[in-house]
Amino acid sequence: MSRLLLATLLALAAPFAVADVRELQWSDLIPADAPPPPPPVALHDMSQLADALAAEAGPAAAQQSPAEPVVKELDGVQVKLPGYIVPLDMSEDGRVTEFLLVPYFGACIHVPPPPSNQIVHATSELGVKVDELYQPFWIEGPLKVEHATSELADAGYRMEAQKIYLYELE
Amino acid sequence: MYLLRLALASLNNRRFTALLTVFAIALSVCLLLAVERVRTEARASFASTISGTDLIVGARSGSVNLLLYSVFRIGNATNNIRWESFEHFAEHPRVSWAIPISLGDSHHGYRVMGTSSAYFDHYRYGRKQPLQLAQGRPFAEDPFEVVLGAEVAEALKYTLDDQLVLAHGVATVSLVKHDDKPFRVVGILKRTGTPVDRTLHINLAGMEALHIDWQNGMPARGAARIDAEQARQLDLQPKQITAFMLGLNSKIATFTLQREINGYRGEPLLAILPGVALQELWSLMGTAEQALFVVSLFVVLTGLIGMLTAILTSLNERRREMAILRSVGARPWHIAGLLVVEAFSLALAGALFGLLLLYIAIAVAQGPLQSHYGLYLPLALPSAYEWSLLAGILLAGLLMGCVPAWRAYRQSLADGLSIRL
Repeated sequence: MSRLLLATLLALAAPFAVADVRELQWSDLIPADAPPPPPPVALHDMSQLADALAAEAGPAAAQQSPAEPVVKELDGVQVKLPGYIVPLDMSEDGRVTEFLLVPYFGACIHVPPPPSNQIVHATSELGVKVDELYQPFWIEGPLKVEHATSELADAGYRMEAQKIYLYELE
Repeated sequence: MYLLRLALASLNNRRFTALLTVFAIALSVCLLLAVERVRTEARASFASTISGTDLIVGARSGSVNLLLYSVFRIGNATNNIRWESFEHFAEHPRVSWAIPISLGDSHHGYRVMGTSSAYFDHYRYGRKQPLQLAQGRPFAEDPFEVVLGAEVAEALKYTLDDQLVLAHGVATVSLVKHDDKPFRVVGILKRTGTPVDRTLHINLAGMEALHIDWQNGMPARGAARIDAEQARQLDLQPKQITAFMLGLNSKIATFTLQREINGYRGEPLLAILPGVALQELWSLMGTAEQALFVVSLFVVLTGLIGMLTAILTSLNERRREMAILRSVGARPWHIAGLLVVEAFSLALAGALFGLLLLYIAIAVAQGPLQSHYGLYLPLALPSAYEWSLLAGILLAGLLMGCVPAWRAYRQSLADGLSIRL
């Protein structure tokens, strides 16, 4: 209850406190000139049935590159972004101190996982108490863009979250 | 102030019922706080057991199951996985480090874990704290060296260079022991407050050597027996392990690698994010915790209602007391105040006594709880939440006091001095 109150208060106070926080949509994290994704593959293509066994016997399927293009202009910008928290590390009292913020909840196993430019790797000193994974949160802080220097280097968005509060439906 | 003195004097006059009431409230308060404390401490100990590990990989089962057996040594694995699979992902370009884990044996009820030296370098607990040795060194190349968790060493009184025999299976009392291959203690870890304290660590070659002549599911007999010295000469390259932990170069790649492992064609594998699995475990336990909490709330309510009953039944007996108070100039609201103060002091005494009981219980149970369940309950001051629970109980006591107060108020208006007893 008190957390809810705090969240509401924060949400109310936010527009007055910092005027230059940019509210982002997940699509803003993809550069406008990014190459279009490859055309979708038919899910149930019967003509491929004969190849199914051959595919099973083959090596592990290649994954799409996790180093997707990022929007470099966003580096250092104070932003807020809504998303779902995937906990990576917790403090002793169970507060999530390191997490990945993703645009949708649950690993939908029908499609590939979100590409690297749709994930924000966030850390928070205080941490956030996550009761249910399907609760969306706002996170706010300066965005850090890490450039991909090679195929396997760290590429993507990082954030030292300053504020984390519940996302409420208006 | 005189109201309080009068209330206490009146209670003193009925000290037996008053004490019983206080005791009932104290027991219920103690129960409520104990449930709360065990809940928070259990969560804290779970949360601080693993840190900095990005993925845990094992045979396909459930995420909670994999987390429980690989990290908390609760339950058993459904299946082993091949060494080739471990090698494949340990050498994966996105992987920074990998720790193999092989489970299944025990020593006096403590689990034995086969692993590699990467475990001492990369395993983290709490707030990314590394494992530290209190004495000795990590195990080296020799297969028959063991590093003990702090609690194993303490409970079984082992020191460096002691020899010990591991048992097959995970029972506390073992009938089948690997007594032809004793292990030497080379290191003892510092206390971590996690399941690591209750684990014996050997290297994978040692795990392999233990089972090298167990081809038929039982120890070999006669000439087929391979003793420790012979085992050292053999190829002890493990063929299978139970699970492994991975640290990645970039956390952003977690999902990609998780998907790659889950879709690995070599054999069916399951990769989990420990944080997510822990969250799932908590939402599972949440229901039971809620139920316990509600039950203990009701016990507190019962205690308070007991107090209410005691005060209400005493009202009739105390008409003369009230009448005398009225005759010496007490107003009806004085009488009401007296009863509210009485109820409040009973609740307060109950809460304080309950707190005392809780601390006595923790002091007594601390040792056994730690050694049997790995749950460490600190003798800490009540948390903010516990204070608020106590305040809630006092408030409820105060409100309960208003009921007899109201009745006494009405009676003292109506009865005055006219009552005949």
